[in-house]
Amino acid sequence: MAYLLPQLLKKSAQAFPEKVAVWARGRSLSYRELEEGSNQLAHLLGKLGVKKGDRVGLFFPKSVESVISMLGVLKAGGVYVPLDPQAPASRAGYILGNCGIRILITNREKRQALGAAALASVEHCILTDQEETGKAGGVLEDAVLEWSSLGHFPLSYAPEVAMTEGDLAYILYTSGSTGEPKGVMLSHRNALTFVDWCAGEFRLSSDDRLCNHAPLHFDLSVFDIYNALEAGAAVYLITEDLALFPASLASFIESQRITIWYSVPSALTLLLLHGRLTAEKMKSLRVILFAGEVFPLKYLRELAEMAPGAELYNLYGPTETNVCTFYKVERDRLAKLDKLPIGIACANTEAFLITDDGWLARPGESGELCVRGPSVTHGYWGDEEKTQTMVVPNHLQTAFEEKIYRTGDMATLGADGNFYFGGRRDRMIKSRGYRIELGEIESALLSHAAVREAAALAVPDEIVGNRIRAVVCLHPTGPMPGVDLPQRILALQQHCASRLPPYMIPESIDFCAELPKTSTGKIDRIKLAAAG
Amino acid sequence: MIETAEVKDRIREYILEEFAKSKGINQIADDEMLTANGILDSMGIFRLVAFLEDTFNVRVGDEEITNDNLESVDAIERLVTSKTRK
Repeated sequence: MAYLLPQLLKKSAQAFPEKVAVWARGRSLSYRELEEGSNQLAHLLGKLGVKKGDRVGLFFPKSVESVISMLGVLKAGGVYVPLDPQAPASRAGYILGNCGIRILITNREKRQALGAAALASVEHCILTDQEETGKAGGVLEDAVLEWSSLGHFPLSYAPEVAMTEGDLAYILYTSGSTGEPKGVMLSHRNALTFVDWCAGEFRLSSDDRLCNHAPLHFDLSVFDIYNALEAGAAVYLITEDLALFPASLASFIESQRITIWYSVPSALTLLLLHGRLTAEKMKSLRVILFAGEVFPLKYLRELAEMAPGAELYNLYGPTETNVCTFYKVERDRLAKLDKLPIGIACANTEAFLITDDGWLARPGESGELCVRGPSVTHGYWGDEEKTQTMVVPNHLQTAFEEKIYRTGDMATLGADGNFYFGGRRDRMIKSRGYRIELGEIESALLSHAAVREAAALAVPDEIVGNRIRAVVCLHPTGPMPGVDLPQRILALQQHCASRLPPYMIPESIDFCAELPKTSTGKIDRIKLAAAG
Repeated sequence: MIETAEVKDRIREYILEEFAKSKGINQIADDEMLTANGILDSMGIFRLVAFLEDTFNVRVGDEEITNDNLESVDAIERLVTSKTRK
C-alpha cells in the first residue's frame, strides 16, 4: 500500500502507461506522460533548491499542468500550496509571504497581476504557458523559467528524497476570522486515509471517469485527483468554460460518459434547474457525491429521480479533516426524510459530540462535532495559537495523549444512528460550498478609511446557500458621507475586491448612523438580520 | 432595428455596472473573456441572460447558455443580433 501520494501515480503509470490520466480544456495526458512530466519537474525543483518540507505555490487556472505540478512538487519532497487563481494580488501575496514560498508555478498573466510587492518572497517563477518564439534562457540562472526547461531533466525516475507518511503534502488556505486566510496543513497520511476509504467505499476502478468540478484550492479536489490516480482512472478537469454553463456541463457528462461526480450541492442544483437534464444524459453516472454545504432535500429528490441508477452520498467534513462522516442516501427513505443526515464516521475515524458542559452528548442532544483519527490536520501554518484552540487534547480520556479536532459545527445523533448537522458555533458561513468567515469580510470593510463600524451578514439562499450582505456605519467626518449611495457601495465593494476573492464580496451594502448593540455593547446581529 | 454598436454598449454597460466594477474592474474590452477572469460567476450568467431577455425582447434557451455565446461582449452581441434579426 502507498504511504506517499506519488506512489499512487507510480503504480498506475506502470499498470496503465498509455491510459488517459488527466484531461483539461481539450488536452489530455497519459499516465506515462504525467509520471514523466512530474519526474522532470521534481528534478528542476530540486535543482532550484527545493528540499523536504519546502512550500511551492501554484497560481494559474486549472490545466493538465496543475496535476503535473502537484505531483512534481510532492516528488521533490515539497509541499504544494494551490492558490485561488481569482484571488486578488494582496491576498495571494499574503499567502506567498505567510508560508514562505520561494518558488511559484504560475503563468504570464497571473505573474503580471501579482506585481512586485506580492512576489517579494518569490525567487523563481516557473511559467506554464507557451513561451514567445525565439526566446531562450538558462535553466537555473533565471528568476523566470519556461515550462520547456523541464526538458533538460531525466524523465524516467524521480529524485530520491527520504519521506514518511507524516510529512506535509499540501497546505490549503481558507477564510480566517481575524481578517487573514489561514493555511490548513495536510500530510500524505491525512490525504491517503481519505483516499483509501473512498477507494473501498465507492469501488473505483481503472474504467472510471471522474469529474473535477471544485477548484484545486478546495479540498473536494483531493478525491478527484488522487482517487483517479489510485484507481488508474481518468479525471476530467472542469474549467470555467464548462463549469458556468449547466447545459454544456450536462452534455459533457453525457459525451465523456462520466461515471463519478463530486461537487458542492449548488453545482448540482444549477444542473437540475438549467442543464436540460434527462435520465439519458445522466445514465453513465454510477456515483454522485456532494459536500460543502447542505443540499436542499427538494433538489436532492429531483436528482435522485434524474439519476435512478446512481448511488448518492452526502459527504461531510471541514478541510481540517477532509471528509470525516458520510451518508449514503437511502432512496426508499428519501420521500419521507425531513432532514438530510451527515451520516456516520468514515473508516479509521472517530466522530463524537461534546456538549457545552464538556461531556459526551446523549442521543438526541446537541453537541460540537469533534473528530479524531489519521485524517486530522497537523494544524495551521505558522499559527500555533490557532492550532491549539482547534486541535486540542481529548479531555474525555486521559489514559494517553491524543488530539481531537473541534469542527465548530453543532450536530445531534439521531435515533437512526446518523449524525445530523445543526449549524455553527461561530460566524463561519458557506456560500457555494466556500467557507467564509464573516469576520474576514468585516476586517476588509473596516480597513477602509471611511468605515467606522461594519457587520457582515449571511442571507440564506436556496441555490447558493448564503448571499452576503453588509451593514456599514461611516465616520461622520470622513470622506464618504457626501458621496451618493451607488458610488459609496461601489467604493466599498472595490475596496473588498482588492483584499478578498470574488465570492466574499458583499452583494449588497446598507448604511446606518449606528449599528444596533446588545446590552453588553456587542453588535446585535440578530436585530441587524431581522432588519434586513 | 438597433445598431450593433448600441447593442454592445448596453451589454458592456450592464456587465460593468452589475458585475465588473464591484470586483475592481472599471473597463472591459469587447473581446475580453468574461468567464475566464471571474467577472461572471455561475449566478451572474443567469442574471445576464434575464437582462438580455428583458432588454432586447428575446428568448434565450438553456441550451444556448454556453461559453461560445456568452464569453465576451462580442459573443453576446452576436447572440442577441442573431435573435433580433430573425
